[in-house]
Amino acid sequence: MIPSKEKLLEMYRKMLEIRQFEEKVYELYGQNLVPGTIHLYAGQEAVAVGICANLRRGDYIVSTHRGHGHCIAKGADLKRVMAEILGKKTGYCKGKGGSMHIADFSVGILGATGVVGAGIPIAVGTGLSIKLRGTDQVVACFFGDGASNQGTFHEGINMAAIWKLPVLFVCENNLYAMGTRQSRVMLIEKISERAAAYGIPGVTVDGNDVLAVYEAAREAVERAKRGEGPTLIECKTYRHKGHSRMDPATYRPKGEIEYWLKKDPIPRFKSKLLEMGILTEEEAKWIEGEVSRGIEEAVKFALESPYPEPEEALKEVYV
Amino acid sequence: MRNASLKPLGKSFTEGVRMAVKIVMPRLSLTMKTGSVVRWYKREGEEVRKGEPIVEVLTEKVTYDIEAPEPGILRKIYAKEGDEVPVNGLLAVITKPDEPLPEIEVEMEKPKVEIKERIPASPAAKRLAREYGMDLSQIAGTGPGGRIVEADVRRYIEEKLEYKPKIREVIPLTGVRKISAERVAKSAREAPHCTLCMEVDMTEASKFKESLGVSFTDIIVKAVAYALKEHRIMNSTLEGNKIKVFDEINIGVATATPQGLVVPVVKNADKKSLPELSAEIKALVKKAREGKLEHSDVSGGTFTVTNLGMYGVEVFTPIINPPEAAILGVGKIIQKPVVEENQVKIKPMMTFSLSFDHRIVDGAPAAQFLAKIKEILENPSILKD
Amino acid sequence: MREISYRDALREALREEMQRDPTVFLLGEDIGRYWGGAFKVTKGLAEEFGDERVRDTPISESAIVGAAVGAAITGMRPVAEIMFGDLTTLAMDQIVNQAAKIRYMFGGQAKAPLVIRTPFGGGVNIAAHHSQCLEAWFMHVPGLQVVVPSTPYDAKGLLKTAIRNDNPVIFCEHKLLYPITGPVPDEEYTLPFGVADIKREGNDVTIVATLYMVHKALKAAEELEKDGISVEIVDPRTLVPLDKETIINSVKKTGRVVIVTEDCKTAGVSAEIAAVIAEKALDYLDAPIKRVANPDVPIPFSPPLESFVIPDEKRIIEAVREVVY
Repeated sequence: MIPSKEKLLEMYRKMLEIRQFEEKVYELYGQNLVPGTIHLYAGQEAVAVGICANLRRGDYIVSTHRGHGHCIAKGADLKRVMAEILGKKTGYCKGKGGSMHIADFSVGILGATGVVGAGIPIAVGTGLSIKLRGTDQVVACFFGDGASNQGTFHEGINMAAIWKLPVLFVCENNLYAMGTRQSRVMLIEKISERAAAYGIPGVTVDGNDVLAVYEAAREAVERAKRGEGPTLIECKTYRHKGHSRMDPATYRPKGEIEYWLKKDPIPRFKSKLLEMGILTEEEAKWIEGEVSRGIEEAVKFALESPYPEPEEALKEVYV
Repeated sequence: MRNASLKPLGKSFTEGVRMAVKIVMPRLSLTMKTGSVVRWYKREGEEVRKGEPIVEVLTEKVTYDIEAPEPGILRKIYAKEGDEVPVNGLLAVITKPDEPLPEIEVEMEKPKVEIKERIPASPAAKRLAREYGMDLSQIAGTGPGGRIVEADVRRYIEEKLEYKPKIREVIPLTGVRKISAERVAKSAREAPHCTLCMEVDMTEASKFKESLGVSFTDIIVKAVAYALKEHRIMNSTLEGNKIKVFDEINIGVATATPQGLVVPVVKNADKKSLPELSAEIKALVKKAREGKLEHSDVSGGTFTVTNLGMYGVEVFTPIINPPEAAILGVGKIIQKPVVEENQVKIKPMMTFSLSFDHRIVDGAPAAQFLAKIKEILENPSILKD
Repeated sequence: MREISYRDALREALREEMQRDPTVFLLGEDIGRYWGGAFKVTKGLAEEFGDERVRDTPISESAIVGAAVGAAITGMRPVAEIMFGDLTTLAMDQIVNQAAKIRYMFGGQAKAPLVIRTPFGGGVNIAAHHSQCLEAWFMHVPGLQVVVPSTPYDAKGLLKTAIRNDNPVIFCEHKLLYPITGPVPDEEYTLPFGVADIKREGNDVTIVATLYMVHKALKAAEELEKDGISVEIVDPRTLVPLDKETIINSVKKTGRVVIVTEDCKTAGVSAEIAAVIAEKALDYLDAPIKRVANPDVPIPFSPPLESFVIPDEKRIIEAVREVVY
């Protein structure tokens, strides 16, 4: 089922936003304006956008250390994300979380966790909360191929399965957990096969085809709302840059990188939209211009914002 | 601290064992403790031949050349020129050309940590000592290991800090003294005392005394007994909420004895004649002074008379003998100028001090009672019967 | 006043809070209608509130606590039961890295009002994996509150507060406490965190004790009374927040303190309390601070071994005698 024109354009815009945002963060890091490290989402935009295009504002996502893309796709304010990454007090977390812990509870972003796989049980609890409260909300949980070996993956999916919770378990399989290729740590090739172990449906889709992701997510959301329980969606994708900013990713064969760069989800989608007549070149340029302006504003806001007061470190440990 | 062994390493195992050679400061005399390095003849890394001098050392004004005991390479020098090295201290090591430097045991002295001798005392003891500006070294500790504890400091404070005059003699409070102390304390504590004083002209009483051959005390006792008949309230006791007025008039005569104050009682003094009273009082006082009073002699009193006149006391504030209502104190007779009929005359005046229990009776009735006694004593003829 | 057991007091608290607030629900292994909880605390609740609200889980401690976190940050008030305190280890990431840090890490955007109930403690011969006291670990994690009730009265009042409280709470019960009875009012009541209870007044020495050790300390105090030693017993009731003031004031009064806990001595709960006393009441100590705790060993199985390890009245009395002189 093809989404509406508005939705398609929105999805395109969002993918551009994510890409440009991540590129900007990369640039700022090179200028020593970003403390710590960053885990960039560039290359995986189709997954976040495809999934979140099926979610309403009141639906939830649980994100990861590589979560800027998820949060932007779900509707986070670029200015506050950028400010948080730079450690400023105007960031979402008052500078206390940073790149790996972006959260915006007002649009259902229940936070990004720095522990691989830890978001899965939290998503299960969110699903449980939805069920007990009797609403038709859903929750999408993002995690990577590496996380699928964590105990939490198995405990969480099993629990969501037996209780038929409205959860989308979205595995972004970008082939590498830090420097470790998937084939070195599991015998199976398709992580979606693990769904069978828990009695739930699992699908593998081309994670760089936003419409394929969109379709898989749409079905999973409807299943969830029908009370049929969770779905495991494996999206095969690739990150353009290394694991973190420090990582030159020399463990990835050169041919492989080129192969995946050719499958870049954004030019692919643009071509598709042009082909479908949804988008013209001028419109595309205009959207790109708009997005750039938005990114510039976000950067300006973040750079001009002050750092938090040192005493802020002692606040809000408890309610 | 490194391992002490100079075991051969690597290939030398197959080449036969030859240990690397330590060059140490030699003991050149029986009393030598240290020597100093004057000059190295060879440098680190240089080849040395057996017997070749490698370093000059100085000890007790004697210089000495140390020779290489084995051929090899002067691998490492451990003491610079000018260093003072103890006897047997390491100066250098000679190894074979391809031998790696062995691990040398380096004598490392543990850094000397100066631990100040401190007086062990608990923090609470220290705080207390600080508050009183005291030096802990003065105090003996009774805690474990001689630790000074708070109780030790407290004891010290009580014993040493408050100035107490030296004690000459300790007299335990026992016997009559103890009982007396208890009774007197109880009386003062429980009965609100008020003392009224009146001067009495003893002219007539003196004449009376001479004529009858009795003592002033006898006369006063009789006068009191007489007055009590008219002022019964002064002859009572307070029990709880009840004032019990006695039917008998038993007058105690306070008597000083070597053992203390005793109060033998003349029972029914109102019913006895002066001569009878006098004889009885004399007998009782004698018994008292001999310590032979029995319990019945000193109990049952309803009023007490106490005389300090013989000691020169004029006025005083006697303490009521519990559980009585009042006590009459008798002072010394003093020849005093007195105004009578607008003329100054010399009269023998005696001051009477009446202490009464204000719970039982007020000032006015007490005063009236005292006034009656005065009246009687100034006209003692009524006491004849 | 009626006397009920610690177990029943906990159940009453759960029932009252579930009646009062529909967002309160329970999850854990075997807590539902088929077993009623390993220690029978939740017996009868599934029948009353339904299997959805009193929910049996798979054996998945990490997911149990994680689910509690997820539910807590989206509007519910879960009470998760971890069957034995020793098994909290399986859920450590969710407790320490997720639950405890959500409020702080996300800049105050969210709160995680969950309660994890779990029994600690030995004395029932079930050995190393089912007898530990691990409260000190949780005391050490900012963001968690740690409750250690020793009586039915304390247990009920504190559990109600824990559920109503918006912070993640580790509610530490003790296996040997479940059957003990004590007075509990008929009327509803709650007890505040951070307020210690003086279980016994005295003048010569302060004992600070938690959980089951409170009861052993009370027995020891009766013995010591016969020798004229007057013991004051302070029960902190909550370790985080800790009522330092009551502890300090008691030590200032008596000048001597013995801290009695059932965890391993090294870096245990008593170490923190001792440090607080040394920092704030040093000048009032007339003797060194004394700690009575387990030696640094796992809990052994055989009865004579276990009795040797877990502090008893005799050890408490000896410790008191060492500081009262």
